[in-house]
Amino acid sequence: MNGFLERLKRFLKGLEIGMREVSTSLIEKELEEYENVFALITMGIFSGIPSPPTGIILRLIPHMQREMYVMLKRSANLDDVFAETLSHFDID
Amino acid sequence: MSALIVLIGAIIYLVSYFTYGKALEKNVVKVDTKRETPAVRLRDNVDYMPANKFVLFGHHFASIAGAGPIAGPAIAMVWGWLPSILWVWFGNLFIGSVHDYLSLMASVRYDGKSIQWVAGKIMGERTKTVFELYVLFAMILVIAAFMATFTSLASKSPQILTGTVLFIVIAVIEGLILYRTKIPFNLATIIGVIMLVLTIFIAFKWPFINITSPHTLYLLQFIYIVFAAALPVWILLQPRDYLNSFLLYAGLALGLVGAIISFRGFTWPAFTTFSARAVGGQPSPFWPTVPLVIACGALSGFHSIVGSGTTSKQLDKEINGLFVGYGAMFTEGFLSTIVITSIGAFGLEVLGAAAAKVTELGIDMAQLTAGGAYLGNNYVKAANAVGGTLAVFTKSYGMMLNKAIAIPATFGATFAGLWVSAFVMTTLDTTNRLGRYAWTELWEPVKNTSAGLYAFLSNRWVASIVVAAIGLWLAWGNTYTVLWAGFAGTNQLLASIAMLTAAAWVKNVQKAGRWALAVVIPAIFLWITVFVALVWYLFKVVPTLAAATKVPMYIFTIVMLILDIVLVAQFFVSYRKGPELLEASK
Amino acid sequence: MQNFFFLGKGGVGKTTLSAAFASGISNEGKRTLVVSLDPAHNLGDAFAEEIPCKIKHLSKTLDAIEVDVDRMILEYLNELSSKLKHTYRYLSVMNIEKYFDVLKNSPGIEEYATLEGIKKFVSEECYDIVIFDTPPTGITVRVLAMPKISLIWTANLVSMRRKILSRRKMIENVRGKFEAEIEGEVLELTSEERNDPIMQELLIYKKETKALNELFSSDKTFVNIVTMAEDLAYFETKRIHESLTEFKIHLRKIYLNKLFRIENPPPEISGKIKEQERVTEMMKDHFKDIEIREVPMLRESPRGIPQLLDLYEKFIQ
Repeated sequence: MNGFLERLKRFLKGLEIGMREVSTSLIEKELEEYENVFALITMGIFSGIPSPPTGIILRLIPHMQREMYVMLKRSANLDDVFAETLSHFDID
Repeated sequence: MSALIVLIGAIIYLVSYFTYGKALEKNVVKVDTKRETPAVRLRDNVDYMPANKFVLFGHHFASIAGAGPIAGPAIAMVWGWLPSILWVWFGNLFIGSVHDYLSLMASVRYDGKSIQWVAGKIMGERTKTVFELYVLFAMILVIAAFMATFTSLASKSPQILTGTVLFIVIAVIEGLILYRTKIPFNLATIIGVIMLVLTIFIAFKWPFINITSPHTLYLLQFIYIVFAAALPVWILLQPRDYLNSFLLYAGLALGLVGAIISFRGFTWPAFTTFSARAVGGQPSPFWPTVPLVIACGALSGFHSIVGSGTTSKQLDKEINGLFVGYGAMFTEGFLSTIVITSIGAFGLEVLGAAAAKVTELGIDMAQLTAGGAYLGNNYVKAANAVGGTLAVFTKSYGMMLNKAIAIPATFGATFAGLWVSAFVMTTLDTTNRLGRYAWTELWEPVKNTSAGLYAFLSNRWVASIVVAAIGLWLAWGNTYTVLWAGFAGTNQLLASIAMLTAAAWVKNVQKAGRWALAVVIPAIFLWITVFVALVWYLFKVVPTLAAATKVPMYIFTIVMLILDIVLVAQFFVSYRKGPELLEASK
Repeated sequence: MQNFFFLGKGGVGKTTLSAAFASGISNEGKRTLVVSLDPAHNLGDAFAEEIPCKIKHLSKTLDAIEVDVDRMILEYLNELSSKLKHTYRYLSVMNIEKYFDVLKNSPGIEEYATLEGIKKFVSEECYDIVIFDTPPTGITVRVLAMPKISLIWTANLVSMRRKILSRRKMIENVRGKFEAEIEGEVLELTSEERNDPIMQELLIYKKETKALNELFSSDKTFVNIVTMAEDLAYFETKRIHESLTEFKIHLRKIYLNKLFRIENPPPEISGKIKEQERVTEMMKDHFKDIEIREVPMLRESPRGIPQLLDLYEKFIQ
């Protein structure tokens, strides 16, 4: 009986985690996109796009680990954005 | 009978899962418990991270479930319940679930890359372009089809319309509660569910929004889409998405309970006629047109996008792929089973209850309820009296719950209606966003010649309005069955790509020997079916469309046919070339 | 506290006039600092003294300094480099050195360093007057433009950052504190503006830049152009004036330098004299509301404070 209750508890806990994830998955994707764009713009100087004055860049670079990380990951997967983006949208 | 059908469905799915599914797992996918999935191997906590299999199942299932598995079978009843249920069971089992499962696992084997990317590698880059090229068409068709379906439904049901509007309001409120306050998640969820129930109740008791003009409804939807798609996701889309999942699970659970407890015999004929008038009022031969009607419950290309877009990057162990990919599709098939069951048991009663309106449409009720060819030829037309075939479902569902657990039938119908329309509205929102993106991509080349024009065309609002407007225009003069068939056609074409890719993978990479046939045969069968169906659509349906919309639909269908041919050509090239094509690209 | 900027092409006599002005004004008792931002580093020649990159006392009321912009750039980058090497140690993907090669030559780095140089001295409380001998026109104009451009960029970046923070907050409300794991390191991603180092940097930068922007346009700043009575110099002067107007910076005086004042000019330079007269007319006509001071070509370039003082008293005062 205890074992069953234990498993039920874990199931419900998993359900709750799942629900939390579902309730924010789109916002998380949006956040990643914004972080990616932010990194691209501030690092624009390295990729040939118009960038902010060097002064701003030099000040911000030391704090941009997360944004850089997201940007690098995104860049690596640029040849396969289609499904990744579409899959978040309930189309069926 | 209803209980029987549901139970048989469950048994078929369960048995297949443990026999056919497991066989696929062993001999085709060749699951290796020691091999790490990309979620583990490439874990970065951005896109790649292993998820608990139940959570993943829930997420995957909620993503693939929508209005599709409901609306399709509702139309398909025109052939009688037996052909429909056979397609939902065996089409799903031999084609749909195989498609879903293999898309997922192939993607897992390719570092979580999408099946479209894999298609590009195995079948040549052209496949990938082919596929991405027609996304814009697909999005617009989805908008048109879903808008038309909703309009049919809502124009005859102030309850559903009221519920839909209220749902928007509570979604916004739920969004504010969840994301902008510190109210604990569990409490916020409970509030959301309570608001949902209240919405259904209010819509049922006081349906104060009553609009019967389809044109007005189209315009309202148009305005809704354009604005909703421009909002940041947290305001409306995300909380909607969240609340939808409750409707889905409740709908599924109550439907199951209702079907079993109501213990009702089927009054709907098992078989009406082979070429019942399903699409656009035209005689539609069951083969090959059934995939243009029942898409999602049996086979859906969009599932491969979901599966290989996110799910594959979150699968923690290869051995769980069957449960998530194969299992979720079965669950969707089960949902369609419930749809067919409810109409099978109560459909004629629903039509009977609206006998006056049906007769007004020039249909003889006696002949209709007698079944046979008359029903097959007039079902869709008769259904317009109540709000379209989807309304036949919602009302049947209502009656089923009423018989089973004594809830007022209108309440149950309102619930079902809200369930479906919630998904429809969400899809309209998302497809407009995607359509907007695809539209902008399309005009890239203009950037160099006229920067001003490009700036105008790619403006968020312009793009949004244009895409929605084209969808609106297509929907305006045409019946929803025609648009639905168009949408289903694109869906099945997507599935063909994934199926053929999976077949090529299974034969050349997996070297599954004879077992490859389990994938190759369905793939070829699917391709032939879709191709013939599209040809039929081109010659039998498009000519009947509203004049102005004929041209784009012609273009669209012909483009799809060409894509279909290019696709199979690529497939055979890679099939013969074998592994060498793969070595070069991997 | 007043700031004086002397702008002009190379060779028009900017440094000499700056030095003369500095000598004169410090002689009147004002505590003066003259800063050379010009990479040509002619200030020492004008004063006939070694002027290092540290403050040198030339007289009781006059100090001078030559800012080595290149060195400043290298210093910044080195500091940044060590900061980054620590912060990004786990981002093995990044090859830090490569990035610095790019930064060292990036467009705007010189302007940035020059602006930092100006920032350092423009509010020095212990001086009454700070005089800036500026780099060649192009850079200087871009430097003066920088605050305005920076403000636009900063505003956009701030608004973008706010969107990011607000979304993090939403996710936090549901899922709890956001922790990102990057190659073994756990980073807490904040959603509060006051805890976000990026937002803080942006806001500080905005404040500093705004202050600088206001200073440039205020009545405490005197921007002068040194030019010559030649066509090319005239066009250049016109352009500088347009740019300054665009940035809402007042042009106070124009110094027409190195004018020929010859009794009986030999025929070889008669053309030049005609040009001089013509251009002088054009200048007076175009710059109607701006004081134009004429400074003749001197027999010898003034060197050392006494000669500079002389120049000041005769033509600048």
